[in-house]
Amino acid sequence: MTAKKWLVMFVAALAVTVAVWAGFNVATDPYGVFGDRLLDFYSYDMTRNPRVAKIAWLDEHHDAYDSYILGCSGSSSIPTEPLNEALDASFYNMIMYGADLLDLEQMADYLVENYEVKNLVVSLYVDNAVLYDVGEDSLDSRMHAKVSKKPLLPFYLDYLFLNPTYGIEKLKAYFTDTEMPQTFDVFDVETGAYDKRLRDVEPIGSLEEYVQREAYQVFTDYPEAQYGVYQTENCVKSLTAIRDLCEEHGINLIVVNNPCYVDYLRHFSSEGLAQFVHALSEVTPIWDFSYSSISYEPRYWYDATHFRNSVGEMMVDVITGGDSIYVPDGFGRYVTGDMPADSAYFEQDCSQPESAYTASVPVLMYHHLSDNGEDTSDIRTEVFRSHMEALKAAGYQTVSLEDLYNYVWYGTPLPEKPIAITFDDGYASNYELAYPILKELDMKAAIFVIGVSVGKDTYKDTDFAMTPHFSWEQANEMLASGLITVQTHTYDFHQWPPFEPEGSAVRENVLPLEGESEQSYIQAFSDDLSRARQELEQATGTRCYALAYPEGQSTLLSGAVAAQAGIQMTFGTVPQTSTLVKGLPQSLLNIPRYGIDDITAEELLQQLGG
Amino acid sequence: MSFTSFTYIAFLVLLTVVYYCIPKRMQWMILLAASYVFYCSSGVRTVVYLLFTTVTVYAAGLLLGRLNAQRKALSDADKAGLQQRIRHRKKAVVAAACVLNFGMLFLLKYWDYTAGLLDRALGTALPRLDLLMPLGVSFFVFQSVGYVIDVYRGKQEPQRNLAKLALFTSFFPQIIQGPISRYHQLAPQLFARRSVDYEQLRAGIQLILWGFFKKLLIAERVGVVADTVYTSPSSYPGSILALGTLAYCIQLYCDFSGGIDITRGTAQMLGIEMTENFRRPLFAHSLADFWRRWHITLGSWMRDYVFYPLSLSRPFGRLGRWSRKHIKGKAGKILATSLATFVVYLLIGIWHGSSLKYIFFGFYNGIIITTSLLLEATFVSWRARLRMEEHSRAWSLFRIARTCVIVFIGRYITRAPRLLTGLAMLWNTVTDFQPAALLSDTVLSLGIGWTDYLIVALASAVLVAVEYAQERGVHIRQWLAARPPAVQFAAVLLPLLLLLFGTGGDYVPAQFIYAQF
Repeated sequence: MTAKKWLVMFVAALAVTVAVWAGFNVATDPYGVFGDRLLDFYSYDMTRNPRVAKIAWLDEHHDAYDSYILGCSGSSSIPTEPLNEALDASFYNMIMYGADLLDLEQMADYLVENYEVKNLVVSLYVDNAVLYDVGEDSLDSRMHAKVSKKPLLPFYLDYLFLNPTYGIEKLKAYFTDTEMPQTFDVFDVETGAYDKRLRDVEPIGSLEEYVQREAYQVFTDYPEAQYGVYQTENCVKSLTAIRDLCEEHGINLIVVNNPCYVDYLRHFSSEGLAQFVHALSEVTPIWDFSYSSISYEPRYWYDATHFRNSVGEMMVDVITGGDSIYVPDGFGRYVTGDMPADSAYFEQDCSQPESAYTASVPVLMYHHLSDNGEDTSDIRTEVFRSHMEALKAAGYQTVSLEDLYNYVWYGTPLPEKPIAITFDDGYASNYELAYPILKELDMKAAIFVIGVSVGKDTYKDTDFAMTPHFSWEQANEMLASGLITVQTHTYDFHQWPPFEPEGSAVRENVLPLEGESEQSYIQAFSDDLSRARQELEQATGTRCYALAYPEGQSTLLSGAVAAQAGIQMTFGTVPQTSTLVKGLPQSLLNIPRYGIDDITAEELLQQLGG
Repeated sequence: MSFTSFTYIAFLVLLTVVYYCIPKRMQWMILLAASYVFYCSSGVRTVVYLLFTTVTVYAAGLLLGRLNAQRKALSDADKAGLQQRIRHRKKAVVAAACVLNFGMLFLLKYWDYTAGLLDRALGTALPRLDLLMPLGVSFFVFQSVGYVIDVYRGKQEPQRNLAKLALFTSFFPQIIQGPISRYHQLAPQLFARRSVDYEQLRAGIQLILWGFFKKLLIAERVGVVADTVYTSPSSYPGSILALGTLAYCIQLYCDFSGGIDITRGTAQMLGIEMTENFRRPLFAHSLADFWRRWHITLGSWMRDYVFYPLSLSRPFGRLGRWSRKHIKGKAGKILATSLATFVVYLLIGIWHGSSLKYIFFGFYNGIIITTSLLLEATFVSWRARLRMEEHSRAWSLFRIARTCVIVFIGRYITRAPRLLTGLAMLWNTVTDFQPAALLSDTVLSLGIGWTDYLIVALASAVLVAVEYAQERGVHIRQWLAARPPAVQFAAVLLPLLLLLFGTGGDYVPAQFIYAQF
């Protein structure tokens, strides 16, 4: 081959390479700019750059939405569902990490110009006062050129000729993707918010233990800084533009100022904060949640700057006047332009004593009772009676699961010295021996039944004899007393290996089996829970919302599956007193319990701390 | 503008097109402009050092040229006295050029270190300069001083056009990491008038691709391993330290020779053939042979401008005569030469940078080479006793392996952050080898995954195969040109796709190592 021909061939090879390059990037589409048709993996694309991928996704799906939440990462915690209900709308959460008000203005423009928009929630954060029009040109944080109105060709060329590493990374993620969010797919595509299915089932108890966890140590040594509200003028400009846009198109505009952790708030002067809120309220009224007792309690926070979804629920409740869940006093204020800038507001002490919003509740766990104690694992009836009497004498008042639930969700007060009594497995002795005592002493208790064993004295479909379990009729009788709650201990995830067919995989608890794929585990566990729920609700006519984990074992994944199946309270077996926090549903998860066996009443009281 | 950046490729394509399209008498001016654009793209301020060298060397050249002319014009009658005076003047000029340029190099590269040593030794508080290192300073200073010495020796007419000399000192492909060219070899090519030569274009592109192959597919990957190991050497057993050092050996060769390939390929696209800087050092039979194959232009510069002048100098002559008289045997004969050799390797060590480790590295090479000179006869007698033929494969393999080990050990010293760390790592490699670690997960915790190891292994195999073939005299590119078109197409497309998909990853393409020297 002559050199000249070789050069022609070289150019051809170059052309092929360039074509392969572009083709690969379009096919893998790591940022979703080309519609991600092949992999349809938008949660990944949004994680890379929510600004770009959300637009790409909405271009296809905007018909399903008519309202939008605009804001930086904190606004992810503003829930769409209660907003949808209250405003008869369908919201999409347009959170973009690190968004400043110029981003929101541009995005609002684009949404109104291109989609149907009825409501717009603009969510602000104190950071907006510091940063404005930050030159975001990196692949990960740039706006879609359609939104920023920059030239389209260079925008698409950048993504067409990405380093193929991005595509390779996406392919790797695609093949290691799981049902649950991972670091590479943190978004819930449908709502646009962060997928917090795992984060929101993380059990939370005492403050002391909470701030010792690695993720929350920041609260014990909060970084210091000093910021000024340098960008107020620009923020006013952008917010005015958004307001005018909404007025022009008849869009309902709601502006909220997000909660801020107190140590972060202290990076600003109170004058600055007041001036910032006042200046914006002159444009349009503002729901200001930035400072309240929530600002003082680390457990309401995912990290140093991001409040939890449950706090977002409170915000929506305040805005929509729902009054349907617990909201601490003084959380949220409506600021209008005619109110003067109030720096004293940020100087007052909003903190609350822990006793105002937390409760310590010991929970006891019993199993089988017998009159003479023939089984070693049992507790004798007389001992049980002595326990109950001693508790009563010591001033303890039993509470139902519902009471605990209401305390957390609605702030309904608990008695002064609350205690919860629970039984696992649903043995007939609970009905025959424990129930009469409880009734006599007017004490409440909860029983967690294994669905497959209800009313049986042989193991499942076998002839193996086992301790008898009470029937649904007996359960209903107990329920009718108003003292007993019957909830689930799974349908059949508490198997007894010696009675199971040899060689079969035995589910002794809700943990995945060895080598079980995530998908089949999720399927199996949620099938089990939905069967347990269905039978229980059908047989008793009561709601099934609590689960005691067999053997007290669980993982975040099992927690997430249970939550998905409608379980709102779960119980473990760590012997300590539980801490419930108002407005924090996670404090109802993995509630620790004292396993009680044949100990004396004195020993029991001692264990409970006198 | 890194050689591996798109900017560079665009720059090169544009330059090549412009170079062949403009009037031929302007071609060298384009090269000069391109060279300064290239140099300034990495920082404008340091360009003063390059200009300083260019101007001083230019002036020295002119002065020496005039003195040379005066000397020639002398009649026999007035020669005796005047010649002496001219010779002195010439020496003064060349010395001034050396002092100015090496002085600048010393201040830039060695002053802060020397001041630190002096402070510690004498308790003084000498000021630090903390200067910004200009790109390729060691290379352009050596190349320029070489020119002055050539003019001094009368081998070279001085360049009277400052702009042309400026092109010689700043020619962009070589300014970062050499090769260190000679004026008589490079300059005529720079100023020549050229038409497009497709052969040259092809050869240039092929060389550049080969350079990218070595640098991006191999060096960048193994570099991660070397960096990881050498960042916390105390956390690894000996075998992993050895693996890290092996990675560094591979990295250094692929990085440096790959860079030189890109340099030479670039020049070749412009019709300019540059001196080879590598001749398959993997197959070196001895350390001295290694240095004739590795960074050849530095070695030959040292030979021509340090070793010969030193060996032929009066004190060395006297030393030679004295040793032949007073020391018996071979040692007496070669003492003076050995000493000169030793000095050269010490200088090569120091050339790399200001640190005790480089001085030690110089000693290490110097000692081994002088010792091997002294022991040459012994080795020959051993070979005879082992009944090995001089050209037998086994003997040659043994010599190659021996050289590899010597070079490998030396790399511990130059890669480690400090001399003592390097020696400690070497010690641990011997005393705490733990071979099992090589099969453990540790290997995969060094920054690259198994796919990267696989790519490195395959690419290295290709590299060794090609070099082996070249060593046996096969002309790879000619061989390739005789293949069917489909094969040739694949031979181009495949590397391009490999580069496309095999580059990058979690690591960012780094600088070329020799750019720091």
